[in-house]
Amino acid sequence: MGKITRRVALGIAGLAGLGIVVYGGALVACRFVPRKRPDFFALLDAVPDIPAARRIGRAVVLSGHAPSDLKDLADRIAGREHIRTALSTGCPTTRKRLVQAQCGADFSEGRMVSVDGWLLSETEADFCAAAWLARGYTA
Amino acid sequence: MIFDLETFDTDQSATGSICIVGAGPAGITLALELAGKGIDVVLLESGGESFEAETQSLYDGEVVGDLNTDVASSRLREFGGTSQHWTGLCAPLQPIDFEKRPGVAHSGWPISRVDLDPYYPIAQKYLQLGPFDYDFANWKESLPDPALPLDPGLVGNAIYQQSPPTRFYDVYFDTVKANERIRCYLHANLIDIALADDAVRRCTFSTLGGRKLTVEATHYVIACGGIENARILLNCNTQRPDGIGNENGLVGRYYMDHLNCEVGEILFADGDVDLGLYADFHDVDDTLVSVGLKLPAQTMRDQDLLNNTAFLVPAYENEAFSDDFRNHGWLGFSNIVKAFAQGRVPDRFAENFCNAAEDADDVAIGIYRHLVRKIEDTGQVVSATMRQDAEQSPNPASRVMLTDETDPFGWRRIALDWQIARSDLESLRRTHELIGQAIGAAGLGRVRLGITDPPDLDIVYTGYHHMGTTRMSADPAKGVVDADCRLHSVKNLYMGGSSVFTTAGTANPTLTITALAARLADHLAKVSTAGLAPVRRG
Repeated sequence: MGKITRRVALGIAGLAGLGIVVYGGALVACRFVPRKRPDFFALLDAVPDIPAARRIGRAVVLSGHAPSDLKDLADRIAGREHIRTALSTGCPTTRKRLVQAQCGADFSEGRMVSVDGWLLSETEADFCAAAWLARGYTA
Repeated sequence: MIFDLETFDTDQSATGSICIVGAGPAGITLALELAGKGIDVVLLESGGESFEAETQSLYDGEVVGDLNTDVASSRLREFGGTSQHWTGLCAPLQPIDFEKRPGVAHSGWPISRVDLDPYYPIAQKYLQLGPFDYDFANWKESLPDPALPLDPGLVGNAIYQQSPPTRFYDVYFDTVKANERIRCYLHANLIDIALADDAVRRCTFSTLGGRKLTVEATHYVIACGGIENARILLNCNTQRPDGIGNENGLVGRYYMDHLNCEVGEILFADGDVDLGLYADFHDVDDTLVSVGLKLPAQTMRDQDLLNNTAFLVPAYENEAFSDDFRNHGWLGFSNIVKAFAQGRVPDRFAENFCNAAEDADDVAIGIYRHLVRKIEDTGQVVSATMRQDAEQSPNPASRVMLTDETDPFGWRRIALDWQIARSDLESLRRTHELIGQAIGAAGLGRVRLGITDPPDLDIVYTGYHHMGTTRMSADPAKGVVDADCRLHSVKNLYMGGSSVFTTAGTANPTLTITALAARLADHLAKVSTAGLAPVRRG
């Protein structure tokens, strides 16, 4: 095994630094690149994988309130005003706020779903359904 | 002046311009208002100055419909009537309550709220309330806590006022006694109404011991409560076989109560949400007010919904602030403590004591929690339930009727067939959905409906508000009394109290009962010097 000279060490460090700069710059640049496919699944992070959410998701799908095809459901959710905006932002906090705004708008316009007596907005019910489908749960 | 019929050695007779049967809130208000106008009144009360088991047992009867109600102990047969144990929550009926609502069958009074507006302020005074103002906008600046930030187009706030509560015996017995225009007889049970030429000529009263009193007057008013008013008319059948005023079979029908239930739950997103406005009574310039959630009247019209006010009952992290210990035992205990604190022996001491003794564990929990509340904080709000006295729609199948069993006077006792329609609870569920919509739209949390589909009627209990059994209508074929509370088919017989309610609204009825009595006093003052009105039989 050859000896690591000072020159080699500096070269490795330089390459690593350059790599970090290039990668970071690329990430920054990507923010300005329009996407052909919305990052829908990032929004599902808002739905925790807990029994209550799974129960809601299952009930919403099985009752027919939401389509059982994930793509159809994703298209339906993505068609809503605040969700469209949420899909174009990478900031999790902003996304969460926009999802909440969409839920509030659903309620204001009377778009509600009743699951086990709980009155939910269509959007949150759809998200639970989408998460349930995306995570591979079945009835 | 007050006499006890039991103390007379011979049968008695009395005359006056107006004969009023029943010394409860309606009868006493009416008597005092008439006396104030210089009109002589004979006021008859079946009971004495306080609770007497033998007299009270005249109220015994059967419950044959919905079983979550009572006919024997919810009413009190004594001077002051049921005001001697009412809880005192007051609000006027709303204008929409008087309207003919297309989605509410048999709705529509022949009078409007405007007709009662001059009399509500009078009723406020009788019930020791504050100003006649139930507009939340006029109170909100004076209230210590903010309202929930709900879209007013979806859900608004309703103001209720709290009477002390006024015990009509405690407050008005001495006033009646000192009034020379009023001749009040205690222990005088109505046993006959004699008619001639479609008018009442005399009424006969008797003590349980058999002492008789005959009263002749120009006009007569029966003000004995929503159940007894019907029982009296149905029992007086010697001259009219179906009972007085019952030519169209309406007496006793359309019985209504408020749908008392605590259902539906609000889960708040933020445990620090301020529910102070809704959780407590607030003392504003010596007027106690409470606030509930209510749909706008236009929403009720548009969606054919019955009226409701939802009061929020918060559940806190600290269990000491839960009221789940409140039961008959606790009420008995608290009646005893309050009476002794006021320096008097409690009414029905043995009954209250036994209730408390049998629920000693809950009484102990209640005492402990009341002490803890003085030193500990509530903690965060966990949730809130919705408590209400919801409106029930008028239903001819819901009724008071006579049984074959008789009381000591030979009068037939009653059976109460209280019928609750599923549609009544479906309306309440929709109301809760709209509250849930407003809560969700404001981002405050989520609502869980407590009414199933189809509804479970067992969640409903009586509000102890007996209404509708001699309902008011301009059409004799649709109601027992006219807009003046006079029987369509008797020239000089009037009904006082909530039996004349055409619809129930959601407001506790005593304020409107008292306002109607004040209005009837005005009417009787006008007609007492005029000739008798003609009759109509539909």
